[in-house]
Amino acid sequence: MLQLTPQTIRIVDVYDDGTHARHFTFEPKGFVHNKPIGIGQFFMLTLPGVGLAPFTYTSIPDKTGRFNALIRKVGHLTEKLFTLRKGDVLGYNGPFGSGWPVDQVKQKKVLIVAGGCGLAPVATTIDYLINNDHSTSVTLLYGARDIESQVLKNERTRWRSKIKLFETLEIGGGGDKQHSGLPTQHLSSVFKYAQHPDIVLTCGPQAMMIAVANNCMDLGLQSTNIWMSIERRMRCGVGLCGHCYVANSYACKQGPTYRYDEFMALENKTVAFQKHQGLFKYC
Amino acid sequence: MSNGNNMLNDSYLLQNLAVLRNHLAESYSLVQIQKDNDGEEMWTEQLGESNVPLFGHKHLPLASPKGFLFAEKEALYKFDGETFETILPQVVPKVLFGVQACDLTAIAYQDKFFEFDPYYQKRREHILLVGIDCESPCSNGFCAQVDAGPHVNSSTADLVLSRLKLEGANQLSEWLLIAETEKGLNSIKALALEKADEEHLRLRNKLLEKVKSEFIDYSYINNAIEYLNNNSIPIKLWEELSVRCLSCSGCTNLCPTCSCYSTYEIVNKKPEKTISNSKVLKTETLRVWDSCLFQGFQREASGHNPAQKAAQRVERFWFHKFSDEFLPEFKRYGCVGCGRCEQTCPGTIGVHSVMKRIDQECCS
Amino acid sequence: MSRTQVKSVCPFCGVGCGIGLVASDNNIITVQPLLKHPISQGKLCAKGWNTAFGINRHGRLTQPLMKKNGKFRVVSWQQALTHIAKKLNKFISENGPQSVGVISSARATNEDNYAAQKFARAVLKTNNIDHCARICHSPSVAGLKKTLGSGAMTNSIDDVGKADVIMVIGADPTENHAIIGGQIMQAKLRGAKLIVVDPRKTRLAKVADLHLQLKIGTNIALLNGLLNIIFAHDWQNDEFIARRCEGFDTLKAHVADYNVEKVAAITGVKGADLVSAAKLYSQANAAFLAYGMGITQFVSGTNNVIAVSNLALSCGQIGREGTGINPLRGQNNVQGACDMGCLPNVYPDYQNSTDKKVREKFSDAWHTEVAKYPGLTSLGMSHQARHGNFKGLLIFGEDPVVTDPDRNKVAQGMSAMDLLVVIELSMTETAKMADIVLPAASFAEKKGTFTNCERRVQLIQKAVEPPGEARIDWQILSELAKEMGLPELMNWQTSEQIFDEMTQLTDSFSGMSYPRLEQNNGLQWPCNKEHPDGCRCLHSSTFPIGKGQLISVDHVPTDEVPDHDYPFWFTTMRLHFHYGCGSMTRQSPLLERETPNGLLFIHPQDALDLGLKSHQGVTISSRRGCVETRIEISDQVSPGLLSMPYHFKEAPSNLLTNNAMDPSTEMPELKVCAVKLVPLPENQPPRSSALSDAGIGVLQ
Repeated sequence: MLQLTPQTIRIVDVYDDGTHARHFTFEPKGFVHNKPIGIGQFFMLTLPGVGLAPFTYTSIPDKTGRFNALIRKVGHLTEKLFTLRKGDVLGYNGPFGSGWPVDQVKQKKVLIVAGGCGLAPVATTIDYLINNDHSTSVTLLYGARDIESQVLKNERTRWRSKIKLFETLEIGGGGDKQHSGLPTQHLSSVFKYAQHPDIVLTCGPQAMMIAVANNCMDLGLQSTNIWMSIERRMRCGVGLCGHCYVANSYACKQGPTYRYDEFMALENKTVAFQKHQGLFKYC
Repeated sequence: MSNGNNMLNDSYLLQNLAVLRNHLAESYSLVQIQKDNDGEEMWTEQLGESNVPLFGHKHLPLASPKGFLFAEKEALYKFDGETFETILPQVVPKVLFGVQACDLTAIAYQDKFFEFDPYYQKRREHILLVGIDCESPCSNGFCAQVDAGPHVNSSTADLVLSRLKLEGANQLSEWLLIAETEKGLNSIKALALEKADEEHLRLRNKLLEKVKSEFIDYSYINNAIEYLNNNSIPIKLWEELSVRCLSCSGCTNLCPTCSCYSTYEIVNKKPEKTISNSKVLKTETLRVWDSCLFQGFQREASGHNPAQKAAQRVERFWFHKFSDEFLPEFKRYGCVGCGRCEQTCPGTIGVHSVMKRIDQECCS
Repeated sequence: MSRTQVKSVCPFCGVGCGIGLVASDNNIITVQPLLKHPISQGKLCAKGWNTAFGINRHGRLTQPLMKKNGKFRVVSWQQALTHIAKKLNKFISENGPQSVGVISSARATNEDNYAAQKFARAVLKTNNIDHCARICHSPSVAGLKKTLGSGAMTNSIDDVGKADVIMVIGADPTENHAIIGGQIMQAKLRGAKLIVVDPRKTRLAKVADLHLQLKIGTNIALLNGLLNIIFAHDWQNDEFIARRCEGFDTLKAHVADYNVEKVAAITGVKGADLVSAAKLYSQANAAFLAYGMGITQFVSGTNNVIAVSNLALSCGQIGREGTGINPLRGQNNVQGACDMGCLPNVYPDYQNSTDKKVREKFSDAWHTEVAKYPGLTSLGMSHQARHGNFKGLLIFGEDPVVTDPDRNKVAQGMSAMDLLVVIELSMTETAKMADIVLPAASFAEKKGTFTNCERRVQLIQKAVEPPGEARIDWQILSELAKEMGLPELMNWQTSEQIFDEMTQLTDSFSGMSYPRLEQNNGLQWPCNKEHPDGCRCLHSSTFPIGKGQLISVDHVPTDEVPDHDYPFWFTTMRLHFHYGCGSMTRQSPLLERETPNGLLFIHPQDALDLGLKSHQGVTISSRRGCVETRIEISDQVSPGLLSMPYHFKEAPSNLLTNNAMDPSTEMPELKVCAVKLVPLPENQPPRSSALSDAGIGVLQ
């Protein structure tokens, strides 16, 4: 039977990490993770008296069971979450969802394109690929609105020494560190640098991911080699409550990572969803 | 439907329904359709003496028995300030006596969907389903077209009742009673009923053909299902229909296969300190039926809403009911042809209205 | 845990849909629609479906509360009632019966309302009894009384299905009377023609054959303009006018002034559309006319109603199937509250309170002298309180702090009173301001009757016990009457006794009884010797005043118009998902999720001109107050017009609204005032205007 009831976790560390974003470290209280947590999976946090929401593991649990998450303040729940301190207790359900296809990137050239807070869901993938020396090469193209909005500063510093990292900024780019504009505007040159990647993983606002995917296909990549991680309203995490539907699929179960062609096939099953795609706007 | 020998082994004859009902009432709380002075029919729990039971086609209550299994509102877990604790429903054995084929098909569908839901299953295992074959079409029904009736599909009930119309000189009993499951069989062992024979089963099948022939052929439904699966419905049709969707949630509430829900929390005691000191905060989390027709159903905290437009939501509802995409998992459509949505929709976009309009639009 | 079901009537709008209440363990767990109900026929709107949340145990008041040093303390019923009685007696003896009053609830039962006006008149000896019809359909009552002799909906809801033309003026039925709105859409699908007159592009406007999107406050010009066209083409119903009306010649001469060009200029509606509408309506076999707050909530509210009546009478579209003048009553029992005489100027069944014979009749029946002097309306009571002349008020089931115009004045009035007693289901904004709060039983916790907009009196049944120590309104008044020295006066044991007492003192209800109501799915008044089974269609042969009166009225500008300082038109509206002050609907997580808790509709062009982004926070202010909320860009409104729902205590539109009044009814001009808009800095969230929980009126 499914366990809808949360378990308890405790906040072990908190620090600011980007505009309205915060880095949390959690620790299980009274339980151990009994399932391996896949790269790119997510969990649900419950704040008693406030609500619940999905968040991605920015690092998978270590031997002590501790794990990290990068959380951005967007609404009522995250606002309350930001008032919590070390030692405070929360509800936890997980792991949920299907992760990134890390098995498929063996001996392949991987390009990761992330936008805004979309960097968080790919963080564990980047670490995994680096640590396991898995792929032929790993390149990261990361776009944000401005320098304050960039997240995972510590992680990026760590990655910069291991992989090639391109950053773009809508506002304030153009120096030697960051390029100016949107990630899609630099895809072509990044592709050249990465010697035409075999697989692209992308994560960010839905319209951004679709734009990235289309550009990649223009550059010769097949849609079956492009993966994305979508956001949906989630409550149960186990494909029951129905909120996260994408046509006949549930993003919390079959997703949130989808292969691009499969995702588009789902969206195209109903004409009204096919017509109305979201606006390109950083979160 | 029938599979020969097995079914014959477990088929009995029943003179009088009261015998069966009273026997079951000894071990189960009786739930059946009751009609009041205004003619309103509802699934009602009987405590003690029961009224004349109502059966069959003429009495499809507007509210299905869905709520006895997938509760309209129920507690999931509570928080005492430190930990969360599951609250499973308290149940007593119940018999749903006289469930029609459409609703039984829907229950089987939900059995699959909620297979690993502890709350649904706790209620489910304490319920005995006594189905009944319908004897003629109901006002909005088209169960035959979606393989959900008019006779009870096998293994969707523990016991099935079928009224055998008396024929000439043959001394045929009134009711054929078939035990379809182990549970069903056990529940009637003590009655030591007379066994039925091949002739009775044949008669049941004959009656089935007769009932089916009385259904209006809503060909527009079959046509519309095809257009839906071909993705050949122009978006402006969905836009035209969805103007009339008020998001009242009537369709999803009454549809016996709809299963979406939302959770919310009740704070039992006002916290005197901030949430950081969560020791004083006690809450209970409940779930309630939700509806994908609400605009807020898919809206995220950021404001992004993949189903912002009513046209998307309305189209998606029908996709969920009639798309072939769900066949691998459920082996059937989400629609069981009960026609309740047509009755309850204030905007005139229930199943008949929508399918008729689709057929009209795509045919031309 | 077994479930029980009880059949009742939905507690929200005036349609009066049948609703099944399913209870388990003394809690309403869900509702079901009723297939056999003649009006709802198995349907419910989003509010109806969410009824169970609105009365859930968790949000309810369960014990009497008395405010001491700014904080509420629990007291016993005896303490509360003794205190109230003492104070009321003191005010009456020191300042006279004029200094006290009662506001009853348009959502409580007929029995509760009958008890309220009896208490006011027989115990307090005052005619200071009123309710929220004051701010919704009081002009209908007054206007139609003048033109026809009766202010109620003339036809029945199912006449919608019998009309070949339907005209909706200043109402949004798909949102607020959703089942009727649905029937209108269905009639349109079956071939009826639909004309919508509304400054906003409502859902019905989108499906209508004609949408006359007039400038706000120009109803009379438009209606007179239609008559001008009708008379010019000789499209009026001469036979009907000759047989059943008076005043035609004067009216015809009067509207000659309202020619098409002039009317087009005033209203902003194209001449060709005016002609089409005039033709459709007048030439219809049966034209059903429905209207709402967009007609009544103006300083010219009563005259607006008269203009509507002139149109229907001149075209003979009344007194037959499929026709009628049909004010859509907003609340589940506002018709009933009016019928029961909870108005300062009338007793039950509209018997005139200034008529000596009527006073004698009731004094006899009640065995005590009744109130002598004319009474104050709710706004009058508030006004007198601010001037120190009005001391004590009992309010049942109303939240004027959120729903009445010019909130700052309302709050001042309440603070000025020496005794404010609020009887409520939950701690509303008004309750927070009270001296004493008493817990009330909800509609699911008592037996009684509601009267819907088509005059149908229906029984509601008790499904569960009231929570804690909550009591029914009439029970509370009965106890209070005893406390105040009149133990026999209101000594009822059941609601049926109250109903029977009332039917004996009225004509329209004289043929009704609980058993008869039960047998017939309710009965439409008048139900008397002449109409033993009630009456579907009023005025079929004659009007109560004999002949229908055609009365000339003129366009008047609204009290406030936009100017340099306040350049926008501002209007109020309702959302489908919420009801009134939101005290019930906002308890539902599903309804609360549907809309933000405060929004302002603005046209895309205006948003662009002001540089506003979608959902940006803004400060909106009028001469009376200001509110912070978020915008919703929508083409529902026209450039220059802003529109705001009034359901949200965090962003109460009534901080802005104008209480300038219609002279004959004291109806405030809630529908229009002038405002200005200032954007908030981009990431600054709007501040809430809700009152603090401490219960002291802290207004921003």
